[in-house]
Order: sequence, then structure tokens, then C-alpha cells
Amino acid sequence: MRNYENLVIVKPTFTAEEIQASIKAVEEVITSNGGEIAATNAMGMRKLAYPIDKNERGYYHVIYYTVAPSSIAEIERRFRINEDLLRFVTIKYDTNREVTAWKQLVEKANKSAEPKATEETPATEEAAAE
Amino acid sequence: MAEKRKYRKRYCKYCEAKVDFMDYKDVGALRFSLSERYKIMPRRLTGNCKRHQDMISVVIKRARAAALVPYTVTRKTVVTAPFENLK
Repeated sequence: MRNYENLVIVKPTFTAEEIQASIKAVEEVITSNGGEIAATNAMGMRKLAYPIDKNERGYYHVIYYTVAPSSIAEIERRFRINEDLLRFVTIKYDTNREVTAWKQLVEKANKSAEPKATEETPATEEAAAE
Repeated sequence: MAEKRKYRKRYCKYCEAKVDFMDYKDVGALRFSLSERYKIMPRRLTGNCKRHQDMISVVIKRARAAALVPYTVTRKTVVTAPFENLK
């Protein structure tokens, strides 16, 4: 098992639900190939530095996961078929230094995801108490 | 002989900050090693050490592939404030 990171850019023409559905499909591709998703980070809709297929914007989503190196080829093949994606970038974290960096990135992504969840729950409790 | 040094001694900014790993998604940090036209700045101008220059060149190329940083900027494809996130 090796640590990887995938950045995918989803087409901007989709609605929010369609974007979420296609991201789920992307994660499904990784998990069905024996990958374990450690963290995800939605960077959101951004302007692209250069147009890709005449699109000026794109929805960025980053997935950190561990998977056996042999299944990366299959995952990338599936991504290439997927027409929802404008672009994907796969990064391998192999050396010790990179692996520690990967762990830090995962922690960071989880931390930034958690506060939102914790903020949401107290808010609803307060609302219920009031 | 004994010519005075014209420029102050260059040092590697990344060595000073003890950077071990660079993230290609952190575009603001790449700014230092990019020129106005988003070319990778040469080592002789930035004073980066070889090790960190190798790292930054890999990271910038990844960021280019991910459309976070443009490959080229010409008069036709001028990017206005590309480092600002789209609101």
C-alpha cells in the first residue's frame, strides 16, 4: 500500500448536486479498486489558470488515499473515461519525507473539515434549546 | 584583484525556513520562484540552492498541470490577478 493524492477538476456547468454525485463516483472508483480514503478537501469553484476545453472555471476536489501501486493504472484509466472531469492530477508520496508530509496534509484536511461539522451541531442544539 | 563584491551574498530562502516539502496547491508560496510571466526563476537570480530549486521546479510543474498556475502568459492571454481565488 502506498500513499497517493488525487486532484480532480469537475466541469463547472454542473449544478451543486451533480458535482457532488460525480465526486462520489470518483471516490467510488478509488474504493472499488481497494483504496482507503484518508481525507478529502473540497477547494471549491475556482478560476482556472488557463481554459481547459473552453471552460474558464472548475470545481477542485482533492482526495488523499492509500492504495496498492498496481491499481493506480486502473484508477487513472477510469478517470480518463469519465467525461465529468476536466483534469486530474495524481501525486505519489513515496519517500519518508513525503509520507510525513502526506500525513500532515491529511491531518490538515481533516481538521479543516471537522470544525464545520462541530459548528453545525452546536448551532442546531442552540436553535433547539431556544 | 581584490575586486569588491558588487552584490550581497545570496542565500537560499527555503533553507533558511527549513522547508522539507512543498505543496503544489499552495500557490502563494510558489510566487517567489515565479517571474511576472510565470516562468520559473533561475537559481542565479533567486539564490535558491540546488536541492530546493529541484523541488520547486517539480512543484511548479505539478501546479501547472492542475491549472493553478498558467504555463505561459502572453499579451493575448493576460491573467488578471490569477492568485486570487474566485468568489
